[in-house]
Amino acid sequence: MIDVQNLSKDYILKKKEPGLKGAIKGLVMPVRTTMRAVNNLSFHIDTGEIVGFIGPNGAGKSTTIKMMSGILTPTEGRVLIDDIDISKHRKEAVKNIGVVFGQRSQLNWDLRLGESFELLKHIYQIDQKDYDRTIDDLDKILGIREIMDKPVRQMSLGQRMKGDLVAAMLHSPGVLFLDEPTIGLDVSAKYALRKFIKEINKVRKTTVILTTHDLGDIQELCERIIIINHGELMEDGNLNEIVDRIAPYKTLVVEYYDESAPEHVRCEMTEHKGNVAKYRFMKKDLTAAEIIADLSKEKTIKDVSIEETGIDDIIKIAYGT
Amino acid sequence: MKKALNEFIHYLDVTAHVIKMAFMTIIEYPANIAGWMISNPLQFIMGFAIIKFVVESFGQINGWNYGQLAFLYGLSVISHALSMIFFVQGWFMGYFVIEGEFDRYLTRPLGVLYQFFFTNINIFGVTDLIPGILVFIYGCVKCSVSVNLLFILQVLIMLVGATLIRGGIYILLGSTSFHTGSAVDFGQYTQEIMDKTTMYPLSMYPESMQFILTYLIPVGWISFYPVSSLLGIEGRYNGMMIPFVTLAVGILVMLIAGAYFNTGLKKYESAGN
Repeated sequence: MIDVQNLSKDYILKKKEPGLKGAIKGLVMPVRTTMRAVNNLSFHIDTGEIVGFIGPNGAGKSTTIKMMSGILTPTEGRVLIDDIDISKHRKEAVKNIGVVFGQRSQLNWDLRLGESFELLKHIYQIDQKDYDRTIDDLDKILGIREIMDKPVRQMSLGQRMKGDLVAAMLHSPGVLFLDEPTIGLDVSAKYALRKFIKEINKVRKTTVILTTHDLGDIQELCERIIIINHGELMEDGNLNEIVDRIAPYKTLVVEYYDESAPEHVRCEMTEHKGNVAKYRFMKKDLTAAEIIADLSKEKTIKDVSIEETGIDDIIKIAYGT
Repeated sequence: MKKALNEFIHYLDVTAHVIKMAFMTIIEYPANIAGWMISNPLQFIMGFAIIKFVVESFGQINGWNYGQLAFLYGLSVISHALSMIFFVQGWFMGYFVIEGEFDRYLTRPLGVLYQFFFTNINIFGVTDLIPGILVFIYGCVKCSVSVNLLFILQVLIMLVGATLIRGGIYILLGSTSFHTGSAVDFGQYTQEIMDKTTMYPLSMYPESMQFILTYLIPVGWISFYPVSSLLGIEGRYNGMMIPFVTLAVGILVMLIAGAYFNTGLKKYESAGN
């Protein structure tokens, strides 16, 4: 479906020096430096996958997704969408993609939402029957018909996001790109968005590629994640496998009736504050139940809980913070 | 061939729809209509009143009498109005570049420049068109030109050419933003220069200026040369083919502008979230 081959992107930066003297120097003899935002990325995405791109701000996620959707021209390498090189044959390749980028809307601000859809119907040459059916389908998931007659400028952020999602899916593209789609959305709008992504992926076999900082999005949606940092591909693979590999431990939190806490030979006590002690253990070596059994022989336990090493720890490790 | 025709029909269909949407947008904000209806024509009628005053005081401007000046002024305003309808977005291209607004055009299966201009088509430009037409007709009567088929054809051809020259210049200036990475609103500035060089006879400027305005920045072709030829005024270029030269210059400027825009688009950096 999507083939990314040796993709790189350079930005040219003009070096600025402080003060008026520096400004004049920059004008007369500009010093240009090249910054590599994305370096030699290669990966393949199959039809029907949901892939999450994660990485800190400025890591190159957005640059990558913008090259994949034809917005930026790669410095090196290429992106094939269904075997069409998107930077060479943009008009042909983009017929098969839909795009929703953050807070940028493609809807006409002044008119009712339906007018924006009508325009897209003409742009993508969608025939009336397909158009009606797509709107019907998407209405069942998002309830779009209720807001079709509302002017876009009067909409809430959540409603506008729904409008943009439908706008991106009207021509039934094979791939949907979402760049930080849940930014600024409230809980119910986020829930609707995730449900929408799952539905179109299941029913229409749409391939979904999203960047996000929201760990909930990733846990809910993505089987596969690609971690990018400093423009390089750090990890690419199954979410659970990456979690197991990078963070193969869990933490058991035990509360006692007083401040003394026993050690356990097969795990490490990472924290001991007041009545509470934390024990970190390797998942493959032993279970929480065994530790609890061992500890309760030595002291009476009041309460226990388990801290699952989650995706957020993975991010911390992968981001190097 | 059939593919090209289908594509042409596709663009026509989108254009028709976009114009429909532009009218709907105008109706959304009725207060604006009244404002534009009054202020835009007024601006040009007053401009023309000044010419009338100057000519009546001095007899003529550089050998051009009152009727001929009206003819020139009218056609200049008409091509200005046409360029305002189709190409005024070019003035604001820098903002589109800086704010990443080209993203949405790049992800749709139509030409980027086409979408940039036509999805923002400025129907209000019609308010400039009306005073232009009135002054032009007035000039025709004063000069007692014989309106025949060739004349109409010449006028239409030169208007298309003139509009393309203006639009091409807007695109060229706007596209610099791709390379500089800054948004400069050069609209007012360009308009000043264009007004001063197309509403009055170019021959009143020094030779060196005329040379620049003919070959380097070809604004002379917008109105001065074709109008001289239509009215039979002796000058650097004469003959009934001059309006067609204007069209050729317009197409050339557009081609150069399009190529420059496309090199810029390759450097387009979008905008961060």
